[in-house]
Amino acid sequence: MKLYRRYRYALVLSVVWLVCLAAPAHAEDNRFKLKMGAKGKICLNCHVDFQDKLKDPFVHTPVKNGDCTGCHSPHASSHAKMLAEQVSKVCAGCHGEMVPKNAVSAHKVVVEGGCVKCHDPHSAKNKFNLLKAGNELCFGCHKDMGEAVGKVKFRHAPVEKGCLTCHNPHASEKSAFLLVDAVPSLCLGCHKTDAPSFAKQHMNYPVAKARCTTCHNPHGSNRGGILFDNVHQPVANRMCNQCHMDPSSSTPFATKKPGYELCRGCHSNAVNEMLGKNKIHWPVLGKKGCLNCHNPHASTQAKLLRAPMIPLCNTCHNDTIQRQERSQTKHPPIQEGNCTICHNPHASDADFLFAQPTIIGVCNTCHDWRNHTGHPLGEKVMDPRNRNVAVTCESCHRAHGTENKHFIWFTPMDEMCTQCHKQVGR
Amino acid sequence: MTRTSAKIVVVVFVLSLATASFGAAVQMIFSSSVYSDVKGNGLKLPEGVACRGNVLVVADTGNGRLLKYTVDGSTVKGGQEIKVAEATDPVKVQMNSKGDIFALDGKLHRIARLSPEGAFKGYIDPAGVPSPSEFITKSFKIDGADNIYILDVFSGRVLVLDPSGKYVRQVAFPEKYGFITDLAVDQKGDIYLLDGADARVYEAHGDGSKGFSAVTKDMEQDMNFPANMTVDNTGQLYLADQNGGGVVVLGPDGSFRGRPIVFGWKEGLVRYPAELSINENGVFFVADRENSRVQVYTLVK
Repeated sequence: MKLYRRYRYALVLSVVWLVCLAAPAHAEDNRFKLKMGAKGKICLNCHVDFQDKLKDPFVHTPVKNGDCTGCHSPHASSHAKMLAEQVSKVCAGCHGEMVPKNAVSAHKVVVEGGCVKCHDPHSAKNKFNLLKAGNELCFGCHKDMGEAVGKVKFRHAPVEKGCLTCHNPHASEKSAFLLVDAVPSLCLGCHKTDAPSFAKQHMNYPVAKARCTTCHNPHGSNRGGILFDNVHQPVANRMCNQCHMDPSSSTPFATKKPGYELCRGCHSNAVNEMLGKNKIHWPVLGKKGCLNCHNPHASTQAKLLRAPMIPLCNTCHNDTIQRQERSQTKHPPIQEGNCTICHNPHASDADFLFAQPTIIGVCNTCHDWRNHTGHPLGEKVMDPRNRNVAVTCESCHRAHGTENKHFIWFTPMDEMCTQCHKQVGR
Repeated sequence: MTRTSAKIVVVVFVLSLATASFGAAVQMIFSSSVYSDVKGNGLKLPEGVACRGNVLVVADTGNGRLLKYTVDGSTVKGGQEIKVAEATDPVKVQMNSKGDIFALDGKLHRIARLSPEGAFKGYIDPAGVPSPSEFITKSFKIDGADNIYILDVFSGRVLVLDPSGKYVRQVAFPEKYGFITDLAVDQKGDIYLLDGADARVYEAHGDGSKGFSAVTKDMEQDMNFPANMTVDNTGQLYLADQNGGGVVVLGPDGSFRGRPIVFGWKEGLVRYPAELSINENGVFFVADRENSRVQVYTLVK
C-alpha cells in the first residue's frame, strides 16, 4: 500500500499517456467512421469477385483482416487503384524500406516502387504473395538470362535451386548484382577450396582469395567447369604461370610484366602493329593496358571483351553514347553496338581512330555517298568557312547524333546550308 | 534613415552582390586565327600549342612539323617551320625560360628537346626512375623554374624532373580514376590531374607527398570529355572539352566559372580543341584541331 501511494501519481500519469497515445490511433483506425465490422465486408458487397482471391493459400494480412482501407482510400484518390498513397509508400507503411541506406546494389524495380511487379498485394498461390513461383518470376523480366540458363550444357546447381540462393531480390548491403555476399565469400559457402581436387583443378593457385567470376559463369555455361564460353588459351591450357608468378611465390597473382607488355609476349604482332600507328587508343598504354577492355581469363563476349561493346565503350565515352541516345535519328552501328565498324579500338593512322584512312571512306563502308548527294565532297573541296578544312560527310552530319533529324548539325535545313552558301541566306 | 534611403541601400547591396558573382565569370574576346606558316602553307590537324613570352610554338601534327611564331600583344606573326627527324609526329609542345622547345612525339612517346632555333638537342630520358622503371608519356608540362612534369599513364604517376631531365620525385595517380588525360602545374608547383573519362580534376600540393585529392566532383554536366588543361598565374584552370567542343574555366577551388569558347566552324569557335596555352599577358591560344587552325583570344577579367 505504501508502495502504491509512492507511485500512484506516476501510475495515473502513465495511464493518461497511454490513453492519449491510443486515442489518435483509434481515430486513424476508423478515419472513415465506418460502422463496426464494415471495414472490409462493406467493400465485398460490390467487389464480389474478390471472394475467390480470399481462397488463395497466401492472403495478404490486411486483406485477411478485411482492412481494405489500410491501403485504399474508399472515396477519392490521386493514385491508381484508389490507393491511399504511391504503391511504394503504401507497402513501406508496414514493411519498411526494402532498400537499406548503405545498400551496395538495389533492384531497379524496388527502387522505382514496383512492388506489385513481383508481389500480388491481395493474395497469391505462392509464398510471399509472389506472382509466380521460383525462377519463373525472375525470368519474366530477365528473359535473356532465362533463355541462357535453359540452354547451357553445364548447369550451376544453385541456379536450379533458385535465383534467391545467391541474390537478394530487393537489395544487397554486401555486393553488386544483389548478391547476398561478395565473391568469393559467396562461392566459398558451397565450394571447399582446401580439397586436394579443388587445388589441383586450380593449378595450386590460392584462388580462395580470387574473384571466381573472372573465369566462371555462375549461371552455367557450355564449357566444363562452367568457365565462360570464350576462354583465353592459357587458361584453357591451364597455363596460369604463363602470365602469373608461380603459385608458391609470395605474390602468386602478380603478373610477370606490367600493362600491355604482358600481352605482347604472345600477341607481339598485334601490339607492334598498334605501336606503329600514328594514333593509339590511350588505354592500351595505360596501367591496366589491354585489360581495360579485355578479360584475360574468360568472357561471355567474343574477343574476351569485358562487356558488350556499348557498355564497354560507355565506361569512358559515355558522352558519345548518350549523344546517340538523345539523337533524333539513330545510327545503326551504334544502336547495334558495333563501334568497331567505324573505329579501330586499338590504333589507327587516321584521326578519331577511324578504321579507314578518311571519314569519307568510313561512311562509304555502309553509305554510297555518290548516290546520297550531288554535293561535292573530298579532300580537294575546301569548306568555305575554313580554307584548311575539306568538305566531308562530317561537314553536315555528326555520326554520333544530334538533336536534329538525320543527325545534321543545324536546323532548319536552310540554317545548315547557309553556313556555307551565304548568298542564299535570308 | 528614411524609408527611401533604406530601399536604396538594399538595392545597392543586392546589385553589388550580383556584380561580385558576375565578376567571377570569365570572358574571352576572340582576337585572330592562325591558318598558315610563314610561306602560306596551311596547318593540318594541329594538336599542340605553347606560348611563353613573345614566342608561340605550334605542333602542326598533320604536317609532322613545328611552327614558330612571334606574338605582339594578341597579334601573331611569322610561322617558321621546324622539322626534325627525331620528332616527326609532334602532339604536345612546351617551352622553358631559355626558349628551348620541347615536343612530345605521339608515336615514339618521347619528348624531344630542341634549341630555340629548332635544332635537336636530345630526348628527355630521365635516369634513375624508381621501380617501376617503365613509363609512357601521354603529356607533359614545364613550370616557371623549368622543371619538367611527365604524365606517365603506363605506371600511373607524375614524374617530376629537374630542368636537365634528371629524376626528382614521383606522385602516384589517385587510387580510383577513370582515365587521366592531362596535367597542369601552377606557379606554386602544385600539380593538377585531369580525368577525362570522369570529367574531374585532382590536385597534389607542394611536393605531392600527400598524393592527389579531388578538386572537383564529377563534372559530366558541364563538359563531355576534357582532354587538355592549363592553368594561369591566378590558379584559374582552363579545360579543353574535346568531345563537347569548347573551353571550360574553373576557379582555383574547382568552381565552374564558365564556358567562354564553344563549338563550331566559324572563327572564334572550336572543334575538338587539343591543347591550350595562356601567356603572361593573358593571351589565350587553342590548338583547334578539327578546324586545322590555332585560335587566339584575349582574356577579360
